[in-house]
Amino acid sequence: MVKILQKKNFCRWIDSLSRQYALIGPVKEREETEFQPLRCPEQLEMDYISTMAAPRKFIYPSRQLLFRFTPQGDDQLITEEILPQSQQILLAVHPCDAHAIMVLDRVLMGEFTDSYYTKQRQNTFLIVLNCQKVDKNCFCDSMGTGPFLHSWMGQDPAKGCDLELTDLGDRYLVEFLNGKIRKLFSFPLETANDEDIQLKKKREVGIKEKFIKKLNIENLPSSLRQNMDHSVWSRIGEAICLSCTNCTMVCPTCYCYNTVDTVKLDLSKSERYRYWDSCQELHFAEVHGGNFRSTRGARLRQFVLHKLSYWMEQYGCFGCVGCGRCINWCPTGIDLTEIVKEIRGTKINEQYS
Amino acid sequence: MNNTLRPFMARITSIRKETYDTNTYQFKLKKNPGFSFLPGQFNMLGIPGVGEAPISFSSEPDQKNKFEHTIRAVGRVTQAITQRKEGEWLQIRGPYGRGWPTEDARGKNILAVAGGIGLAPLRGFLLEVWKNRNDFGKVVILYGARTPDDLLFKEELPLWRKRPNTQLLLTVDEIPPKTRWEENQGVVITLFDRVEISPQNTLALICGPEIMMRFVVVGLLQRGYSASHLYLSLERRMKCGVGQCGHCQIGPKYVCLDGPVFPYNEIRGLPDTLV
Repeated sequence: MVKILQKKNFCRWIDSLSRQYALIGPVKEREETEFQPLRCPEQLEMDYISTMAAPRKFIYPSRQLLFRFTPQGDDQLITEEILPQSQQILLAVHPCDAHAIMVLDRVLMGEFTDSYYTKQRQNTFLIVLNCQKVDKNCFCDSMGTGPFLHSWMGQDPAKGCDLELTDLGDRYLVEFLNGKIRKLFSFPLETANDEDIQLKKKREVGIKEKFIKKLNIENLPSSLRQNMDHSVWSRIGEAICLSCTNCTMVCPTCYCYNTVDTVKLDLSKSERYRYWDSCQELHFAEVHGGNFRSTRGARLRQFVLHKLSYWMEQYGCFGCVGCGRCINWCPTGIDLTEIVKEIRGTKINEQYS
Repeated sequence: MNNTLRPFMARITSIRKETYDTNTYQFKLKKNPGFSFLPGQFNMLGIPGVGEAPISFSSEPDQKNKFEHTIRAVGRVTQAITQRKEGEWLQIRGPYGRGWPTEDARGKNILAVAGGIGLAPLRGFLLEVWKNRNDFGKVVILYGARTPDDLLFKEELPLWRKRPNTQLLLTVDEIPPKTRWEENQGVVITLFDRVEISPQNTLALICGPEIMMRFVVVGLLQRGYSASHLYLSLERRMKCGVGQCGHCQIGPKYVCLDGPVFPYNEIRGLPDTLV
């Protein structure tokens, strides 16, 4: 079902949603755009390019209470599960970030289901907004996750997303990806005509020409596996990488976590939290008596190979959606697409000239 | 929907002191009659306010709701566990992971190579072998510890040695003064020349520090063992046990899901491991 939503009705629509759901969308925050809970529809920054943090934090929070344990005498322990309760809509999520959420679905809702993620995911509507602008570090076109929403590596938007919006100037093209979302419109929408649909296609072709950053993904998982001893790891890892963990904090598909227990001062209760961990942290692969990734080079290699190689064997897709955040936010300018070019033996910056 | 991270309570029915820093804890479950496990698998053991750690089973699997964990107090969680007394409880969830290739091992000779606490995950397998002794060929156990005081299951070792068609060789790295020791001294591979078993039709099951396993693998390959007959149990820190916290990854493998017991061929050539 394809409809048209006039921009003049857009705020009215968002306003109507806010009565039933917590709304989260891109909001201008000083120099950046960030996904935030909306106070009013006018806050929405619909022509944003990228955000610092990925929207994953609203489904998989960076710190989350899992259990509260209350001992009763010596013999009993009351275990409370603290499951998320919010019914929410993630608004104007770009296709790369939408696919990243579907990647997380594969990790956290697979053979073993994470109750916390699953509960919040099932109570989240995902409204995708196709991109109109390309940043210098965007390479979703190379990965295949954007700039417009399509199926990708076994991920079907009809199963993981709810609504697809395309900006057509004075109006949005509204594509219903499943039946659930229909109830979110309290007023009738015009039906889109062929011209609208042609215009969407034209816009997609137009934006695809604008990409500067590219990554050649042909045989990428295996060629990286064959180059685990390449000098690039130690050179960039030891001389440039700071192990600051920015890349893994802004990455939309990173899922690693650590747990920590806290105890109330009077010992009456304890709580078990989890928080995002990072393979770039020194402690990450530590065991009693040693550390399997004690060098920054080994940790950098873990990040890049996991995203671009191991992930394929583990989950059947890349762990990178080409959002460019790890490049944007690396304080020393490390760029995984440049690392790949070096490994492939192509001259840096000339591969696509 | 079951919460995979939710632990249940298991009562400690007995504690056996193995060494100065290692105890064996026996648990009995009342409410969970369906609990069953395989040798080489592990549980996440926890204490509220402290946390959880992955610990292998050290008992045989056919006593479904009764099982043992042999724990060396070296980390925050394991040190807290050693404060627990008989009759008290721990949090448990599991069993997780892939255990020893018990079915593949039937009809074959077994070479079990253990270093330190690495004998604990192998004990469950060996107890299973003793119960079905005729299903297996010759069994050779090589066990190395730092000192004679570090040997686990001291009362059982002489009984294992008396089992039919079984060879048990012990070695220690150091012999403290005034300690009586009539067995070998040196790393575990110094026992290889005394092994009375042919590489053909033998599975080698190896568990110990990774640096030890590395040299054991090299030594066995040199002696004609085929790489497909070597199995290693690896250790990594884990927060979940179910392939989601990410900590135990070695290349594309999750030690918690794909291991902790791996055929050597599956982990050969992976980065960030010593084997």
